[in-house]
Amino acid sequence: MKRTFVSTVAGTLMVLPLVVQAAPLKVGFINSITGKEAQIGENLTNGAAMAVEDLRAKGIQVEVIKEDDGGDPKNALAAYEKLVTRDGVIGVVGPYTSGAANVVASRADQYQVPLLVPAAAKEEITMKGYKNVFRLNAPANVYSKVLMDAVKAYKPKTIAYVYAATDFGVSTVKTAQENAAKMGLQEVANEKYQQGQPDYRPSLSKVKAANPDLVFLVSYDADAILLMRQAKEIGLTPKAFLGAGAGYTTAQFAQQGEISNMVVSATQWTDDVNWPGAADFARRYKAKYAKEPSYHAACAYEAMRIMVTTASKNRSAAALRAGLKAGSWNGILGPVKFANYAGFTNQNNHPMLVQQIQAGKYETVYPAQFSKKTLVYPFKR
Amino acid sequence: MSGGTLCNDKPIFYRTNSMTILQPLISGVLTGGVYALAGIGMSLVFGVMNISNFAHGDLMMIGMYMAYFAFTLLHIDPYVSLVLILPTAFLFGYMMEKLFINRVIHHPHQNQILLTIGLGLIMSNTALLAFTSDPKILTTTYSSSSFTIFGDVSVSVPLLLSFLITCGITIILYLFLSKTSTGMALRATSQNREAAQLMGINVAKMSAIAFGIGTALAATAGALIAPTYYIHPLAGHSFLLKAFTICVLGGLGSVVGAGVGGIIIGVVEAMSATYLSSDWKDVIVFVLFLAVLLLRPQGLFGKKGGQ
Repeated sequence: MKRTFVSTVAGTLMVLPLVVQAAPLKVGFINSITGKEAQIGENLTNGAAMAVEDLRAKGIQVEVIKEDDGGDPKNALAAYEKLVTRDGVIGVVGPYTSGAANVVASRADQYQVPLLVPAAAKEEITMKGYKNVFRLNAPANVYSKVLMDAVKAYKPKTIAYVYAATDFGVSTVKTAQENAAKMGLQEVANEKYQQGQPDYRPSLSKVKAANPDLVFLVSYDADAILLMRQAKEIGLTPKAFLGAGAGYTTAQFAQQGEISNMVVSATQWTDDVNWPGAADFARRYKAKYAKEPSYHAACAYEAMRIMVTTASKNRSAAALRAGLKAGSWNGILGPVKFANYAGFTNQNNHPMLVQQIQAGKYETVYPAQFSKKTLVYPFKR
Repeated sequence: MSGGTLCNDKPIFYRTNSMTILQPLISGVLTGGVYALAGIGMSLVFGVMNISNFAHGDLMMIGMYMAYFAFTLLHIDPYVSLVLILPTAFLFGYMMEKLFINRVIHHPHQNQILLTIGLGLIMSNTALLAFTSDPKILTTTYSSSSFTIFGDVSVSVPLLLSFLITCGITIILYLFLSKTSTGMALRATSQNREAAQLMGINVAKMSAIAFGIGTALAATAGALIAPTYYIHPLAGHSFLLKAFTICVLGGLGSVVGAGVGGIIIGVVEAMSATYLSSDWKDVIVFVLFLAVLLLRPQGLFGKKGGQ
């Protein structure tokens, strides 16, 4: 008995240093698993999980410690502090929402643990010169810029704005107005609406009376469908509908062929873009989760892949920061490099894509080097 | 940058042709018709039972889902499915009154309000669990069809159908309340519960019938709006506030008042969205609401000295 005990202890002592040495790489992941943003959060969860699986298949072992912020900046900050102080992670991916990411970013330099933001759009996050904050996706101003660039060649003259009275709606339209001014577009209507109303016809009638070339829309899920239905009803037919917000990029919207056909929208990622592995990712994601992957899923996948591959080569927070700063990648989100430009620090200059619904399917139409199809302009019913 | 930017050379918002006045007027009246139906159900329940039903919006939501599932699973047109929804919702409301509401009918108002809020929360959260928070869209062949009158005024086909059905149901309700003995008993209970009871009217049964009818009207309003709106477990909440405003505006307990109140709200919303900004339409509605409360506290069609 005694001998067994001694040998067990001895055995454990011998194994222990080995265990410590092979301690898996620890990376944190803050996401909105519950709360208002849970639906999008699920996409991020799935995307990140697929990245970890793919890395395991390549022999890279990692322990991902997941934290839920419920979409609340307070919880996100508490989660980040717990991850870096208690769990000892060397890098963190997340959080999803702009509000949460912005707050966590402001503390990253204090704890000196790199934060990789996968999909939050608020410009400020990478504009404060934080050394430990990296962002993969394009910031908010690119949404309107890329949409207008896509139609620039067709020389539109007038534009009307229809948008939700939310932080996202108002700030996106503000950057759109700046871009429109640069292009010399004249603003002929500006309709801000309260969400969830059954009747948008009066606003849309005003837009119709102004007869704009472009109608720029920012709306969430169901409002996008209501607006386009009522636009068809009253016969609003501009040369192009430009949808900047989430509501114009959902599978449900595309299915409403009668009203959604030819609508143009901006997105961080599409499944038919010619970036390496994008189509394969979409196919595997659909097979695994029985859902179409959103751009959030792709961003989370790529953010987790970049974080873990870099961390596996640089096993401390400081080395990881240097690795992220120096490295460059080419994956399902195209070429990635964290650079300093135009007031941004460690920001990936991600080219956003413009897609158009053609025959019930989202097709990438701009920029030309990433697209297989071309933009249909002017819009025809 | 606020809403309502004018372009410099042509004052597009002040065109004086037929479109500017008629378009918001027509779409306001048609949308107001559906608001009215929601308001009438609430007003009837208040009149007969003296209870403010805070679950009214959630009952509308149930009507929306009934229409949605009748359409997707049974392939019944949402307007035809009213034939199923009306009796089912009536029974649901009748049972709800028997099981829960009649236990608080003589209790203070705050108990009644808490009970109906609680029932509403149970309904909306059950719907969240069962149907998830993904909004459902009911797309019929006529969901976005319209025709034009007077040259350039467009009229939405589903909204017009909803409005006509609302008118039909209101007329039937009016005839029921004024011509049948049950209807008269309901009105008697509404006028004076104690006196009605002394005259031999079964007021407990009248309460259950009133709540059943109120529920049926709420569900109908939900089903009527379903083809032009989206279906979501919390979709009823924005209509609850509207139904309440309509009831108080028209006079609590007055069926005619609720009908007129609904149309007024619909038209005011559409007019203020057209001539000011859609951002301001709620402000205008509530300013109007406050003005009516100040000048005519009993509401437009309410009885003076009534509750």
